[in-house]
Amino acid sequence: MLERFVETIRGRFSRPMQYYGDICVRCGACADACHFYAASKDPSHIPAERMMLVKQAIQGANDSGRSLVDWYREVQGNDAAMAAKLEKALWDCTGCRRCAVYCPFDLDTGLLVGAGRYAMLQEEIGPEMIAEIGDAEVSKGEIIDFIKDFYVEQTMELEARLKEEFHPDIRVPVENKGAEALYVPLVGEAAIIPAAKIFHAAGVEWSLSLYTATNHSYFVGDGAKAKAAANWIVQEALDLGVKAIVYPECGHASRTLFNYFEGWFGDEIAGLERVNIVPLTYEYLKEGRIKVRPDVFDTALTYHDSCSLGRSSGMYEEPRELIHAVATNYREMTPNRALNWCCGGGGGLIAAAEDKFEMRMQGGLPKVQQIRTTGAEWVITACENCKTQLEDLNEHFELGVEIKGVIDLIADALIV
Amino acid sequence: MDVIEYILTYITPYIAVIALLGGVAYQAYRWRQKSPVAAHLSLYPRPESRLGRLGDALVDMFTMKGLFTVNKLLWVGGFIMHLGLLLLILGHIRVVTDFYFLWDWLNWGEAETHTFSAVAGTGAGLLFMIPLFYLFFRRFGGKIKILSTPEDYFVLVLLVGIAITGMHMRLVSEVEQHPMRVFMQGLYKFDWQPLPESAGLSFIWHFALVQLLMIYFPFGKLMHTIGSVFNKMVMRS
Repeated sequence: MLERFVETIRGRFSRPMQYYGDICVRCGACADACHFYAASKDPSHIPAERMMLVKQAIQGANDSGRSLVDWYREVQGNDAAMAAKLEKALWDCTGCRRCAVYCPFDLDTGLLVGAGRYAMLQEEIGPEMIAEIGDAEVSKGEIIDFIKDFYVEQTMELEARLKEEFHPDIRVPVENKGAEALYVPLVGEAAIIPAAKIFHAAGVEWSLSLYTATNHSYFVGDGAKAKAAANWIVQEALDLGVKAIVYPECGHASRTLFNYFEGWFGDEIAGLERVNIVPLTYEYLKEGRIKVRPDVFDTALTYHDSCSLGRSSGMYEEPRELIHAVATNYREMTPNRALNWCCGGGGGLIAAAEDKFEMRMQGGLPKVQQIRTTGAEWVITACENCKTQLEDLNEHFELGVEIKGVIDLIADALIV
Repeated sequence: MDVIEYILTYITPYIAVIALLGGVAYQAYRWRQKSPVAAHLSLYPRPESRLGRLGDALVDMFTMKGLFTVNKLLWVGGFIMHLGLLLLILGHIRVVTDFYFLWDWLNWGEAETHTFSAVAGTGAGLLFMIPLFYLFFRRFGGKIKILSTPEDYFVLVLLVGIAITGMHMRLVSEVEQHPMRVFMQGLYKFDWQPLPESAGLSFIWHFALVQLLMIYFPFGKLMHTIGSVFNKMVMRS
């Protein structure tokens, strides 16, 4: 069993993965980092064990598990039990990298899990739904001319509504050549409305992308497809001649923008600024390009650091500054920033729908505890995946909180 | 017995050195076969400048500050054990040469250096050995037991064995330092000298276990010595 898994993952090993299995000393520090382990106590969820299982599966491809060497390396042969453990180790992980912070050597289990997921899909083990959405994102560019008209029609309807509700001069422009910024939204209008209001208030000439920022191929460790999906956005930005690509409140997509685009596109994007809407909004506020009614919210609220935006991209202070600008009753979660608990729904697990629902709720337990301790009524975050998971946790555990985005707060407090 | 002693003192030391250097070179080659990740894997917060990040990696390496933040008990065990090991390695330089300039500067004679080396050596030995017992026994409970593989126990037993035989040489059999230096220098000058009278069974065991450690070093978790340094830079790039 697992022949295709072993062959694929061997081919996809990068240099760090090659030494992870050699140098991990199994000190166990990472066990305390994992929300899935904290909630389930299932040993397959100890990050070091995830690594060991991959190593043992690779060795198990050739060995029966009956020799002394196999005993020493704990190779048991690749049977159905091994496949089940591997499935848990590689799919029941949000790639939040909290364990990498706990690891004395900074070993990044998330990196290995990415490659492992891709290899698992070659065995048809795991939620294929995530990969299918990824494929749709890749092929969207090929059919864009057929769906464009419908999309533009929808944005015009949205624009008309916002003119009535917000300001008569607000615009939601698509394919706006020479615009300053290309804003890449998410599916649905929730990510477009606050951004449109902020761009309007800042007097920024912007353009709404035809694509969405989400990149599900990235979740399943398929670098080539992840690049292909992101390429449509880069080409659109280059065609329009914008100065900056602006990503929405979406963790994993922003992580690709900050940490992967350079490796994928190199010189092609040398002149393009790459920013997230949250730090950009903070910049507008600092420069006085937008004005907000100070301290308009006195509801008790807290901020949840998204793993991709915080630990992996360093966006810690900008969202807090924005919240402080408009809210008076802020409560910090403990721990926070680099050591913040994952929401339990990252790594594309939301897209796996029913398959992973129960597991997501279990993995969200540390987060539920954290939110309850703050006593906050609003939970603010800057990642769509976190928002969806927090909504689900809210309902499932009857937290009685409201989940909001950072830019939602700002958009509601804008002076125009 | 004489044959085994002969082999362990005049033949296997060379094999151990070759295995250590060759093994590390082979592992480095094996790691380099794979291409680096074409993405930034940085964990934040991190220093802005390149030099700052290098400094941060080095500080983290020498103080284990990352582990201190998340697991104080394990930090105490891990840090003190490694500190003891570092001191012991420094002290063992005296097996082949001496810190003449240091003793001159301190104006210490034979008696003073001998006392210092006895006190410091015993102290470093205890710093090394006591945490090893903690690190060993914690592997018999809970999640660490599940995680542990035979290798983890083997390496710890090996290190404890080296520590105990070393302490025995220092405290019980009181191996004389100068004749030992003559013998060790003979090994690397290929001018073989007889084992000193005072070197008893504890020396043979100590010497043999260290050679086993050297041979094993490149092929197991002990490679974290080298790999962790690389990885700390990768995770700050």
